[in-house]
Amino acid sequence: MKESLLDIICCPLDKADLELEVDEREGEEILEGSLTCTDCGETYPIEDGIPNLLPPDMREAA
Amino acid sequence: MTDLAERRGVETDVYQPAEDSHLLATVAAEQVGQDDLVLEVGTGSGYVAEHVATESGARVVASDLNPHACRSARERGVETVRADLVSPFRDDAFDAVLFNPPYLPTDESEAWDDWMEVALSGGETGRAVIDPFLRAVGRVLAPDGRVLLLVSSLTGVDEVVDTAATEGFSAAALRDESYPFESLTVLKLLR
Repeated sequence: MKESLLDIICCPLDKADLELEVDEREGEEILEGSLTCTDCGETYPIEDGIPNLLPPDMREAA
Repeated sequence: MTDLAERRGVETDVYQPAEDSHLLATVAAEQVGQDDLVLEVGTGSGYVAEHVATESGARVVASDLNPHACRSARERGVETVRADLVSPFRDDAFDAVLFNPPYLPTDESEAWDDWMEVALSGGETGRAVIDPFLRAVGRVLAPDGRVLLLVSSLTGVDEVVDTAATEGFSAAALRDESYPFESLTVLKLLR
């Protein structure tokens, strides 16, 4: 994902802002990292460049 | 193309572009301007999002529940988010939201429990995904934003238009195409 996606996405639970932590970057693309809700503290993984913003209860089932 | 079993074919992970995808991609590319921010919900292979981005010059973000679909879309160069409908997107964010939903009416006995079922099945009425989408999409639309929704005669265009109306949208059919077992319509929804 690109950092500019942060202006478009939010926490799926409470719609609060997400804080980005980057583990691996390739040019503009963030390949590995996490997004943490600034309100509820829920953390969402970024894997292979794709943020997984499913609500936690859907992460396992889906 | 009469039922799910035939549509399913050999592909079990990601729905591949078909007539419905081509129709939505063509109409959406005409409706979207280069300054628009666009979301495609349930992007599947990523074909529609890629086509619209290439033809219109707009920034197109795609979402899907299916991790295989997310990877497929990203391989096409589409910005992709794994998401349930529009839940992780900001209020008023998008000028246009595109959706070719799972719409085929399905009995529970037909369930296969794989990603292709998720891509195709709209539950008993065919509207099991469309209805929650219509309830949620208004939040992420900019004030003058519009929804382009592909609907099949199998799903019931009138029923979808009625539900959209209860959510505050007026609907116009932009394009209809007839096939042997269904006709496909692209609806434009405005508030």
